Amino acid sequence: MNNHPQQPSNRSEDRQNLLLLLKDAQRRSGYLSDQLMRELAESVGVTCSEIYGVGTFYSFLSTRPQGRNIIRACKSLPCCLKDSHLVISSIEGAIGIRAGEITPDGRFSFELVNCIGACDSAPAILVNNDLYTELTPRKISQILKEYD
Amino acid sequence: MDLTTEMNKRNMPCIMVDIAVTINGSTVSGQSGMTILEVARENGIDIPTLCHRTEFTPIGACRVCVVEVEGSRTLVGSCHTPITEGMVIHTHSPKVLETRRTIVELLLASHSGTCYMCDKANICELRAIAADLDVGFPEFQVRRRYYPIEDDSPYIVRDLTKCILCRRCVWACREVAKKDVFAIGYRGFDSKVVVDSDQPLNKEVCRDCGICIPFCPTGALGKPRKIAEEKEGQLLIVKG
Amino acid sequence: MPEQRVVLKNCGIIDPGQIATYLAADGFKALKKARDVGQEQVIQTIKDSGLRGRGGAGFPCGVKWEMAKDAPGDNKYVICNADEGEVGTFKDRHILSNDPFSLIEGMAIACYAIGARKGYIYLRAEYHYLYDRLLESINQVCEAGFLDGLNIDVYEGAGAYVCGEESALMDSIEGKRGEVRYRPPFPPTKGLWGKPTIINNVETLMNIPWIILHGAEWFCEIGTERSKGTKVFSVSGDVTKPGVYEMVLGSQLRELVEGLAGARAVKAIQVGGATGRIVPHDMMDTPLTFETLLGAGAITVFDETRDIVDIVRQTLEFLAEESCGKCSPCREGTEVMVGILGRFTRGEGSAHDIAAMERLSQAMMLSALCGLGQAAPNPVLDSLQYFRGEYDSRVKG
Repeated sequence: MNNHPQQPSNRSEDRQNLLLLLKDAQRRSGYLSDQLMRELAESVGVTCSEIYGVGTFYSFLSTRPQGRNIIRACKSLPCCLKDSHLVISSIEGAIGIRAGEITPDGRFSFELVNCIGACDSAPAILVNNDLYTELTPRKISQILKEYD
Repeated sequence: MDLTTEMNKRNMPCIMVDIAVTINGSTVSGQSGMTILEVARENGIDIPTLCHRTEFTPIGACRVCVVEVEGSRTLVGSCHTPITEGMVIHTHSPKVLETRRTIVELLLASHSGTCYMCDKANICELRAIAADLDVGFPEFQVRRRYYPIEDDSPYIVRDLTKCILCRRCVWACREVAKKDVFAIGYRGFDSKVVVDSDQPLNKEVCRDCGICIPFCPTGALGKPRKIAEEKEGQLLIVKG
Repeated sequence: MPEQRVVLKNCGIIDPGQIATYLAADGFKALKKARDVGQEQVIQTIKDSGLRGRGGAGFPCGVKWEMAKDAPGDNKYVICNADEGEVGTFKDRHILSNDPFSLIEGMAIACYAIGARKGYIYLRAEYHYLYDRLLESINQVCEAGFLDGLNIDVYEGAGAYVCGEESALMDSIEGKRGEVRYRPPFPPTKGLWGKPTIINNVETLMNIPWIILHGAEWFCEIGTERSKGTKVFSVSGDVTKPGVYEMVLGSQLRELVEGLAGARAVKAIQVGGATGRIVPHDMMDTPLTFETLLGAGAITVFDETRDIVDIVRQTLEFLAEESCGKCSPCREGTEVMVGILGRFTRGEGSAHDIAAMERLSQAMMLSALCGLGQAAPNPVLDSLQYFRGEYDSRVKG
């Protein structure tokens, strides 16, 4: 009952896989739908509000539908200094959507994210879990071809 | 090391030890496990609080109760910091008051600003603390959080535009009502007290207990009020 | 010689996929030695070495370990903080990619020293491509029989900078929102699941095997009086040779930025990422120590063409987005600052805005719940101190 953050409950050990479960669910269904979160709440033994609170806290979890492939372009300073805006507009041009949107065919969603830790070879993007570095606008279409 | 002994001591709360501390120049005595706020209140010193309630474990979110402890780099939250032997505390030093004012001003800056029409105006804790600290019109500019008023429930009206994210409703529902309807959703400035997957409060998820209403320090939670029904509480007596 | 390899000694030398190559480089000798000399002696050695946390706060590592060892309780935890989220930091990525075994050995020694049977590596979600490789390394160590009943696991985050803050990190492992807890209680007495826990940065743990193997005296000879050993820096921005550099603590910023990374016409340097300090080019002779400049070792270099006010605005935007939102000074204060800095970048600032930022900075530094909120005003205050002209020139009217 008591999920007080300062006082872990006895059941808390069971709960530690919640992030993993949420990520798994998202992988299977594309996003955390209300239905999915209700089921998870039931099985983990916490309220739906709580699950939603966790689901909306982390930027790699989404409670809205996402594309089959997620492009995350770094928008932080070290990438900016290496002209990441050119890469970003090149992605927008290649898939015809802006950051925060999904392509009509559901193939890509595109997000601008904070530092992904590849500043030594900026500008960098992540496509799903793959890292691409030292990007130029010309490399983009070649990279995106690999993802259906 | 001093800290180690102290921390070990904190792990054995059953053993009550008298602890002497200095608050605003006077030496007073408290017991191990007591917070600075508890000792201060016992000695008639008023420290303002917003997220704190004695009914539940400290939250530590609003930071309005911060005090100065000599030797500490930052101010500390008095509602959750336990006293230690020889602690020298200042609850109303210029540094403390200036910090409290700035925090209250920040909360007012994103608050709805419709006090004249607010049902809780006469009992609003945020307004009372602002008056006490002489905080007037906020100097800071920030976007306001506008949310539709939720009046689907016959028992509770929720107006999150007035919410200051103190989390007292979350704790009241969890620890007092034992129902756990609320949680915090989203992150940073967009944080919000959510119900289910961010649904308006309705009678399906929230029954008629209404326990959270008096816990809300502002007008974010209230009872549905009929037109011309009197507002709760006496008119604020603003000093000056 | 300012460059010295302690932490990165095996990077590029061993094959990170083959434990045999690590064993050939004296791998796991330190763990054996630790178990031979006993818990007390291990902690004493770490205390004597003066090793301080490499994640930014610089807390004495041995003191932390001792508290956790002395704390009552059977279940204790060791967490390796690999949630490297600070803007401009990538040294842990480099370490995890090139020498995971030293880290695992360091963790095993930490577990032994405090009496923990479970260790977690908290890996940021952005580094998912390292996840399987880390598990494989742990497997190899386990199969080689070095873990001796000890369980080391990789726990992956889900995208939140604030989870690099130790209390938020623990909440995240507990399956919650990564929100900051107030202290005390401190993790060494009441941490993960309320049990004694030590949380060390990747780089801190990388130092452990060598300190144990070579002794505290050897380590003490490197560095300055209060900042012992080396520090690994992540250098990026306007430099010709961005990358990871390991230097003796106390080396000058200039040696790193101009000498090694090849920066020219430097205007300013951000040391320690978003919550770090901004220093002008004429302060490049500052030694890099815990007392002066360090943070987690992120070095972002800006040349003369860059706009400082815009850099500060972007930095605060980052912090506002990544604030956990629990405490009011950080949640509201970062947002107010983003608004003010936006006005300056558009040339619509006012003298009144500068005064408001200064007042707000004081309150945030004094009252925010964690290091993020307390350090968020750093870039604002530093830029106001060293680049005031850039603000004044954008005051409207």
